[in-house]
Amino acid sequence: MELELQKGSRSKILAAFMFGVILLFAVRLFYLQIIQHDYYVGVAKSEQVKRLKIPAKRGLIYALNGELPVPLVMNQTIYTVFADPQTVVDDEKIIDVIRKVAGGNARSNLQALLDKKASRYQILATKITRVQADKIKSENLRGIGFQEGAQRVYPEATLASQVLGFVNDAGDGQYGIEGGQNDRLVGQDGLLQSVTDVRDVPLTIGDNNINKPAIDGENIVLSIDTNIQSKVEQALVDGAKRIGATEVSAIVMDPQSGKVLAMANFPSYNPAEFNKVEDASVFNNNVISLPYEPASVMKTFTMATGIDKGAISPSSTYYNNDFIVVDDKIINNASKGKTGVLDFQTVLNWSLNTGSVTVFQRLGDGQNITRGAREIIYDYFYNRFRLGQKTGIELANESSGIIVSPDKVEGNAVRYSNMSFGQGLDVTMLQTASAFSSIVNGGTYYKPTIIAGTIDKSGDFIKNEATALSSPISKSTADQVRTMTHKTRIWNSSKIDKPGYYIGGKTGTAEVLVDGTYSNDGGAVGSYLGYGGSEELSRYVIMVRAANYGKVFRGAQEAGPIFTDISNWMIDYLKLQPKG
Amino acid sequence: MSYQRTQNFVSRRQQNWSRNQNTVAFVSAIKLGPVTHTVLIALMITVLGLIYLTQATKATGYDYATQKIDSQIAELNIQKSDLEVENARLTALETIKSSNVATTMTTPASTDYIR
Repeated sequence: MELELQKGSRSKILAAFMFGVILLFAVRLFYLQIIQHDYYVGVAKSEQVKRLKIPAKRGLIYALNGELPVPLVMNQTIYTVFADPQTVVDDEKIIDVIRKVAGGNARSNLQALLDKKASRYQILATKITRVQADKIKSENLRGIGFQEGAQRVYPEATLASQVLGFVNDAGDGQYGIEGGQNDRLVGQDGLLQSVTDVRDVPLTIGDNNINKPAIDGENIVLSIDTNIQSKVEQALVDGAKRIGATEVSAIVMDPQSGKVLAMANFPSYNPAEFNKVEDASVFNNNVISLPYEPASVMKTFTMATGIDKGAISPSSTYYNNDFIVVDDKIINNASKGKTGVLDFQTVLNWSLNTGSVTVFQRLGDGQNITRGAREIIYDYFYNRFRLGQKTGIELANESSGIIVSPDKVEGNAVRYSNMSFGQGLDVTMLQTASAFSSIVNGGTYYKPTIIAGTIDKSGDFIKNEATALSSPISKSTADQVRTMTHKTRIWNSSKIDKPGYYIGGKTGTAEVLVDGTYSNDGGAVGSYLGYGGSEELSRYVIMVRAANYGKVFRGAQEAGPIFTDISNWMIDYLKLQPKG
Repeated sequence: MSYQRTQNFVSRRQQNWSRNQNTVAFVSAIKLGPVTHTVLIALMITVLGLIYLTQATKATGYDYATQKIDSQIAELNIQKSDLEVENARLTALETIKSSNVATTMTTPASTDYIR
């Protein structure tokens, strides 16, 4: 029997009604599930799927203790303690615990912070250590939470601070190696994308999970030797105190590789408390960032240029009048009274400006620093010795300095005559010491570097090789100039060096420009550039610069003793055996 | 009037198949109706669902275990880093220089060299 609803019956109306409702549901579901599909999938993902950043660890910075890498900059996990004022129940206990454990890192107005009931996040203490955080956690304080972070710590405190630089609150390296090698140190953050539960615990369910591990920054080993660095810093502090200097800088290099063994400035600062520094100029590393006129230390390069071109030899002579005329300018000697026929060894010993100008004149027609002579000088100073240009050292804020080209109007004979004794040009101490190293080592210019290598994931020290860039002068020239500076050192500073070693150097006293004129009124900057080791092999090059603007600091009297202090110590430290 | 069959007809094929066997056709006395079938299917689906849920929960349980181990590893790494920092501080040049041993050291009056 066929079941059939009667037309117009209540059952038929109910069936029609139900059909209508079901149709409505179907249409609505179609709209939600088909048309609005992507929207709701997105909403669901945003609720369920979390993208968590896996922070990369910033690379560590090491220095060398002899041959062994020792950490100078490390990372330490720190915590920020925060409160949810709506949840906390025992204000007094919280304040007591936080003050007792966090000490100076706690906020001073804790009660006021906890009273902000409209807020759900108030920071109570910052930069507390793991041990401190554990102590607070053990108190089981309700409404208290912890945020993990990292900070740079400096086991050697202020050692090499201007070489290191610091990391600012945004996590960016500033100054020094932190700034110069930020890209290598910073690493690459990883990504964890996953469905999480209500406590943000990542779950493996879901098909769009991403787990990209973080790539930690490189661990860099500096060529700085902590013992030498410490000695140099102490020598600068002692020296500055002794001579009343406001600025003293020094660099120690290995002339056989171009590696920087120490680089220091006075005054210095504590990188862990960089935000407490009042004078930002203390962040600068004057060894690489402050071009200056080094004065007579440049005479070593003048002699090298003259000898290499065959214009002079250490024993060739000229007549010294204590003054020399270049175009319309008269150039005087700083040391007067040694008139007559002199050889160029004596020029270096007495640091005679007339002699160094004569060298440049002999590169021309013998009477004038001709255009041809200026081109030769520029080639040697700029192209060969690489003065007046960045060395490419791995530190931030290196300055280039200036060597004026003869192509420019300012590159005239008067300027070049001044350049012969270290004025009318701007060079950094690093450029000067690197170029001088090429004289000391027999004629090879090594690219100056402050990175000795890296430490890989397995903890092995991967050493960098020294990079020889060019040969600015012949070995014969280099040896002659090295001997000249050794004789100059003996002539000027006998009995202050340890006996049995081969030490050489040259002083520099640079008058400071005041209103466009060189004058002692502005004071003078004293420099000393020298080397030490055995006759066969120089083991170190040291350059010192001392200044107190307004006071006259001479190379021999103010900078020289600091060189001697470091040099004599280096002989002991390197365990060099004396000759004879 | 009805006729009763006195001999059942068995085909040759059936005779061959059953020659060496005692075939018994079992027919249950319990008859399942459509409602029972529906309930049973629903139960089977429920059991399958429970199995799925158990496995999914088990996987999530592993996630929690993994998370716990990861946290422990992270905590131990932090402790290791702290110890490394402490070690570096204790062996730092500045610490050694200001140690009692270092402060009582004196400069040798003379130095000789083995030749």
